[in-house]
Amino acid sequence: MSYRQATYDEPLISEMRSGSTYRIPGDASAAVLEDLPGEILRKDLKLPEVSEYDVVRHYTRLSQMNYSVDLGIYPLGSCTMKFNPKLADMISTFEGFSGIHPLQSEETVQGSLKVMYELQEYLKDISDMDAITLQPLAGAHGEFTGILIVRKYHEDKGDLQKRTEIIIPDSAHGTNPASAAMCGFDVVEIPSGPDGTVNIEALKAALSGKTAAFMITNPNTLGIFEDRITEIAKLVHDAGALLYYDGANFNAILGITSPGLMGFDIVHFNLHKTFATPHGGGGPGSGPVAVRAHLKDFLPVPVVSMKEKRYFLDYSMKKTIGKVSSYFGSFNMLLRAWSYIRYHGSDGLSENTLDAVMNANYLSKKLSSGFRIPYKPLKKHELVLSTEGTGRKALDLAKYLIDHGIHAPTVYFPLIVHEAMMIEPTETVSMNDLDNFAEILLKSLDVDEAELKKMPRNLSVGRLDDVKAAKDLKIRWD
Amino acid sequence: MSINKDQAEMLNLLGVKDKLELFSDVPQSVRKPSFRLDRGISEHEVLLEARSNAALNRGPGMLNFLGNGIYDRIIPASVDSIAGRTEFLTSYTPYQAEMSQGVLQSLFEYQSMMCQLTGMDVTNSSMYDGFTALGEAVRMAYRINGKTEVLVPECIYDGKLQVIKSYLEGLPVRITKYAMDAGTGFLNLDDLKSRINGDTCAIICEMPNGLGIIDQNVPKVQEIKGEALLIAYVDPISLGILRAPGEYNADIAVAEGQQLGIHMSYGGPLLGILSFKRDYIRKSPGRLIGETVDVNGKRAFVMTLQTREQHIRREKAMSNICTNQALMAITATTYLGIVGPGGLRKIGTMTYKNAGDLGKRLRGMKLAAKDQFTGKSFSDVLIRFGSDQGDLREKLLHKEVLGGTTLAGLCAAAGKKFPHSHFFSVTEKTTTAEIEKLAGILEGI
Repeated sequence: MSYRQATYDEPLISEMRSGSTYRIPGDASAAVLEDLPGEILRKDLKLPEVSEYDVVRHYTRLSQMNYSVDLGIYPLGSCTMKFNPKLADMISTFEGFSGIHPLQSEETVQGSLKVMYELQEYLKDISDMDAITLQPLAGAHGEFTGILIVRKYHEDKGDLQKRTEIIIPDSAHGTNPASAAMCGFDVVEIPSGPDGTVNIEALKAALSGKTAAFMITNPNTLGIFEDRITEIAKLVHDAGALLYYDGANFNAILGITSPGLMGFDIVHFNLHKTFATPHGGGGPGSGPVAVRAHLKDFLPVPVVSMKEKRYFLDYSMKKTIGKVSSYFGSFNMLLRAWSYIRYHGSDGLSENTLDAVMNANYLSKKLSSGFRIPYKPLKKHELVLSTEGTGRKALDLAKYLIDHGIHAPTVYFPLIVHEAMMIEPTETVSMNDLDNFAEILLKSLDVDEAELKKMPRNLSVGRLDDVKAAKDLKIRWD
Repeated sequence: MSINKDQAEMLNLLGVKDKLELFSDVPQSVRKPSFRLDRGISEHEVLLEARSNAALNRGPGMLNFLGNGIYDRIIPASVDSIAGRTEFLTSYTPYQAEMSQGVLQSLFEYQSMMCQLTGMDVTNSSMYDGFTALGEAVRMAYRINGKTEVLVPECIYDGKLQVIKSYLEGLPVRITKYAMDAGTGFLNLDDLKSRINGDTCAIICEMPNGLGIIDQNVPKVQEIKGEALLIAYVDPISLGILRAPGEYNADIAVAEGQQLGIHMSYGGPLLGILSFKRDYIRKSPGRLIGETVDVNGKRAFVMTLQTREQHIRREKAMSNICTNQALMAITATTYLGIVGPGGLRKIGTMTYKNAGDLGKRLRGMKLAAKDQFTGKSFSDVLIRFGSDQGDLREKLLHKEVLGGTTLAGLCAAAGKKFPHSHFFSVTEKTTTAEIEKLAGILEGI
């Protein structure tokens, strides 16, 4: 075992005091503030006073105490942590993109609008949907936008009073019920069937004149494709409800099938997953929402349209839900996704899907020698194993992995599998790394449980006290 | 389909002929027949195409008087260097805390610095942008007191109001506007007071307000707010010189953090700053990073109070937010660390000085109306012209100047009440020569 994470006893920046060194140009005498009443002026501003070189060293040292996708496999399930192309980093720093103000007139931002328009077209093509907004700023924000469209659709039909429920499978991402509730709907959860897919009988029983929508992801969070999806779509539509596609798992189907072909009405993308925009330690994301033609008029404004080779911000949607964020979306992320799609193209994108699914199935097969992998064996982009019966807790095995310099999978999700480990390798991992991952995870089963509890030991800190953090709540430096 | 040697071995172990066989569960009826999308191209070709697209944009290098929430401020080179570090850029949400202390500590520092800046007790580890953070703040206020009316200034930007409305869909909360004083440009305290009653959930005050003015009545709202919550929407740079919302008893403070070292990038990604009083923690949305210790007693950081969040609480969560703006929060932290309190004070002072100089110069023009607001601008200087200026933005653009955003374009109602009003925004970068050049161009129109 030779892995060691960089470890510093790094103070908080508030505890550093080398004195600020950065120079701001201009001559600003405090006298200019004299025409403001004293009671409105700030008396005291406590912020760290640290030299520029110390700030850079501080954050460089902190960065070294952090794992990232550039260091290796990052197999968090449903997170699609694939390699983030450096090409996109480079393009995103072009001043012609980064130095553009959102209130500039259309004629001065034709380049940005062109990128956005093309991305809209690409995503419509990929999803086989008819219209799209790039405005939502994350996957959950896309869900929020999509469910607002559901609301407006039923309101427009005079049905909203009656349609108060959104049905969600028990395997769904937590954001689905949270988004539905946030938009004022009651959540009806239905159990999964014995093979891990939607229980059709349970769905039929749940569907009624009260149903506003059914939200699912396909493949689901067990990594299993909902093979009765067309039947599901028919049931949902016959009940007068809409079918919502959570695009978190799009990487499993891109190029093979699409939400449009499967009969979905609304879909959100996660550009920071499927299209490899960097996740920045928790964000920014980007969550465009595409809809079928009959919902086009409900999209938030503006979208980007083109007339006679001129791009413009189009506010013409008559029944628009309004706006969901400050401007036009997370442009820098849109630009990166544009470059990813342009680079890979139709052939590359499809190949990526095939490889992602092959990798997940390969890992599933390898891990099945030591773990129970419930439900259908044929996986798509991810697999969920259970550590039940091994005498080991999923959490302990996760700590064993990170102690070996490998980021652990998602643990304890989906909730329907006990002691779950949800593993999504993605297409950007070599067989060698997959083998290495499987070998280490299987080897962890031979380690004494008491020994596992002592891990990690090779990281900048040992196992953390989560209970203390909540109990003694300290969420700022004093 | 391409297959290399490793892949052949993998397929062999899986017992399938080719990769496509792994999709036998996808019915033929839903198989995608084709793309309109082109096939892939080389990195070099994408780069050339991106360059030519960037060249279709104009703006950088031009005289820039655009603002109203997003500003072209100085960004220290070190900020980009840190924000571009691959360990921060390409990591995920810090679910494995022991392996992610870098991001966790940086976000804890963000929370700490934002509390210092806003004078509030708690700041979460970021929201998407200023407008959505404001929408979440109103939802939070409703969770706190259950009351049903939110008061907003009549000069609030339409886009901001639309986002608040989107966030209130599904809640029984209505929005009512209160008036601004036509002389000073401050909020009208009497009008606001007359609208506060037992149903008032929250009062949104902007500082500076939608007219760009340092609103001297905002700190006085604490005296009349009664049971209602005060939500202050503030400019973070202005806090270098102006009182912090925590000092005038704001219950929740919200800000757009783009100015803190983040490039404009046509309006995204941005940074939503959400701060509040300690009593409201359990009603608050978003992630919180807390201090703890490891098994050896060493200080360390974790995500905490996650039972408020969607992945644990599902439909009972405080919000659906999951991905936030962590990298932007780290960027803002680095920015504040580098400029320091003296730097921020100077940036605020320079901005205020430049706004004063620009206002004085432009209001002295013949074109300007006699009637101007007497309140002082912070960075967005609203100039009321004596007559309709036609498409002023267009005319300025011909002279390679960005600016002249209409008040009507940002807030239709305020634009109607105060016609022929255009904004010219300044930053610490703006020079006397630039102001003079702008004035010369305007006088020549």
